[in-house]
Amino acid sequence: MKTIANNLRLFWQGTMLSYIALFAWLRPTTYIASKILMPLAQILFFTFLGSYASGGSNVDFYVIGNAIQITAVSGIFGVTMSIGGDRWAGTLPYLFGTPANRLMMFFGRAFMHIIDGALGVVIALMWGALLFGVDFSQTNMSALGLTILVTTISTCGLGLLMGCLSLITANVMFVNNTVYFLLLIFSGANVALDTLPNWMQAFSQILPLTRGIASARILIAGGSFSQVAPMLMSEIGIGLIYGWLGYMLFKWFELQAKRKGTLETV
Amino acid sequence: MNFKNLFVYWRTVLTVAEITLRHQWNDSFILFAILVQPMIIAVLALFMLRGLGGDYAMFVVVGSGLTGLWSSLLFISGNSINAERWQGTLESLVAIPTPFEVIIFGKNLANVVQSLISMTSSYLLAALLFGYTLKMVEPLLFLGSVLLSVFAFISFGLVIAPLFIMYRGIQQWQNAMEFPVYILAGFLFPIALLPNWTTPISYILPPYWAARALHETSTGAGDVQKVILAWGLMLIFSVIDLFIASKLFKVMLYKARVDATLETE
Amino acid sequence: MNSIEVKNLKRIYRATTGVIRRTTKEIVAVDDVSFEIKEGELFGLLGPNGAGKTTTVKVLATLLIPDAGEVRVKGLDIVKDANEIRKHIGFIFGGERGLYWRLSAIDNLRYFASLYHVDPEISKKRIPYLLDMVGLNGRGDERVQGYSRGMKQRLHVARTLLHDPDILFLDEPTIGLDPVGAREFREVIRNLQSEKKTILLTTHYMFEADSLCGRVAVIDKGLIVALDTPSALKKHVSDLSVVEVETFGVAEEVVEKIRNLPFVDALSVKDQDQRQLLLVQTKLGAEAVPDVMAALDGMRVGRVTVREPTLEDAYVRLVGGQV
Repeated sequence: MKTIANNLRLFWQGTMLSYIALFAWLRPTTYIASKILMPLAQILFFTFLGSYASGGSNVDFYVIGNAIQITAVSGIFGVTMSIGGDRWAGTLPYLFGTPANRLMMFFGRAFMHIIDGALGVVIALMWGALLFGVDFSQTNMSALGLTILVTTISTCGLGLLMGCLSLITANVMFVNNTVYFLLLIFSGANVALDTLPNWMQAFSQILPLTRGIASARILIAGGSFSQVAPMLMSEIGIGLIYGWLGYMLFKWFELQAKRKGTLETV
Repeated sequence: MNFKNLFVYWRTVLTVAEITLRHQWNDSFILFAILVQPMIIAVLALFMLRGLGGDYAMFVVVGSGLTGLWSSLLFISGNSINAERWQGTLESLVAIPTPFEVIIFGKNLANVVQSLISMTSSYLLAALLFGYTLKMVEPLLFLGSVLLSVFAFISFGLVIAPLFIMYRGIQQWQNAMEFPVYILAGFLFPIALLPNWTTPISYILPPYWAARALHETSTGAGDVQKVILAWGLMLIFSVIDLFIASKLFKVMLYKARVDATLETE
Repeated sequence: MNSIEVKNLKRIYRATTGVIRRTTKEIVAVDDVSFEIKEGELFGLLGPNGAGKTTTVKVLATLLIPDAGEVRVKGLDIVKDANEIRKHIGFIFGGERGLYWRLSAIDNLRYFASLYHVDPEISKKRIPYLLDMVGLNGRGDERVQGYSRGMKQRLHVARTLLHDPDILFLDEPTIGLDPVGAREFREVIRNLQSEKKTILLTTHYMFEADSLCGRVAVIDKGLIVALDTPSALKKHVSDLSVVEVETFGVAEEVVEKIRNLPFVDALSVKDQDQRQLLLVQTKLGAEAVPDVMAALDGMRVGRVTVREPTLEDAYVRLVGGQV
């Protein structure tokens, strides 16, 4: 019982610390710029581009796709920063020197970004309703809420893996930016997946976001929860696999660093 | 900026540009801004606009290239002064006989010319990977448009960089300024899609006129008169920008000597 | 003729803190400083950290605007004629920053040569000459990234000599160098002086000022507390002796107790690993030893010596013991 309490505390501390450390330098205006206006601008750009292509008949497709995609801002950039932050601050050797449960320490860093990411999607969908008249009247709201949560968790899973990669590569931002932009193609946020070449479709299927975006489109159009449930199961499964891979990499990294004595230089 | 300076210091401008290119040729952030991001946007746009038919591929090549130009201007030229401060080289660049704006002009020249890679790589992508036959309708007018666009972008950058230094409040919006210009300047779709009230904003953005000139000359959508109008407006904006920049640099440098902000502690 | 004239210079830093209730804190870096440097002179500005040395140099190098006072370089006003002054001055601020680390030394020099409008034909000859002079011969094609701190600092010297300036501002150029590197660096400075350049050197090492400078101004808390030749400064302490006591872990209160003894003129503490060397300046000479030992009150004490004062001691006395 005591262990559980200890681990929960560790999880919570990791969560708070990583979030505070990340946003300590932010002013309210910066938060508004990066969390509200930047997503809005991205949604507007791709929605206009999409409606230019389709003659304006398919606005919902782009608004919903890009709104869900916004979760990757927190899921990839946020989570990576939380994990990579220790490397820059030089605190990694101290963490590895503690007996703390690595699993709790590791997943604690993603928790706040799940909330932040889900909130980002809700804001983005509200822009969609406000500016493009996306209609939620036929939508099962609790199912949509679950979809947002599941998609955010699975994207954070990928973020955890990226974050661990950031411990071993020098060009963290380059990799993150590239992954974020590649998701714009492969998640189906902007292109109907069945129009892509086969190999691209296959790749889409092993990424987070893909099924979450598809589910959200179905639900907002009035679909039922049972229609999307299998997709959501796969979505969270994919996210957990990525998170687990990240955790393995994290453990491996710790082992290597201890074995080779490279902790100081990481 | 004082126009005379460009003639007096042309050799310095070229050396600064050359050294800038050598200094940052393997910078991963620049690689992303001028190569990876525009290429991904090009792929997306090629897929998305496929239904339009006609010469849309050329339109995408030029448009996604323009996104690279703007992102590079916003993030690299916009931070050109700040970058020197972080490196600790700003003081050595200010207390010298070359006017500081000449140095930044040279740096921007390097950045803008370098970001033309965006358009080239999008072209190769569309031609080789997607197998489009791309036809440049007015190659000479296009080349002229490129040259004027480069000049207009450099001048615009000379206004942005000191603003970012003097008013940190503006720089906080830097990330949020990337896509709006993609939208308002009509890089990949016509601004006619936008609400009417945004049109005047587009008209005062030099990238909008650059996009018009480049699109019209590459796809042949506009006649010569329209192209000349875009050229004229780019020139006018460049002159205005350089004038504003000369005032901004003066104020910025004096303010920095008063506030002791030329170096970071 | 005077190359540099500083009259009643004052410079304040204002730092604003707090988001909601903004408070502005004023720090007077330079309070009231006046001095003149003649053409071809090597002038030392000596003082502890935070005394106002760097601020004074930055005002002279046209990087800061004074709050009050008049500053002239070559008879030109530092605010109005900054651009003209910049053609004639060179400066280095101690430390490794201020170079393009991803470029080679030669590219760095080529870049700055162009910014100083050195004719390309001339800089082609001058760059190898300068690299040779600062002892970087054969390393010019390497990226600065891989340079040691001393090499970077010497590259700074080469950088600032590209346009052959008449006036040089060297702000703590030997800071952070190992003893050998610092000695080589002083050799470079001596060579510059023999080329008849006007040099303002700041340092917080007295022996450095002593061995290089014709005149020295001692600056403390933004004020000049003494200005003279090194030998004249030494006379300030000619009537004193210095009692050196080696201690192991002496407490701050004990040091204060000794400082307040009636016969103590000045006291400084030099930290050497686990030991502290107490330097007690007094007119009593050896007679002071018993009282000092009594104040240490049975504490473990190492070597005790009494010696003649050096310039370092004069400096310690001028800045009140804080070195």
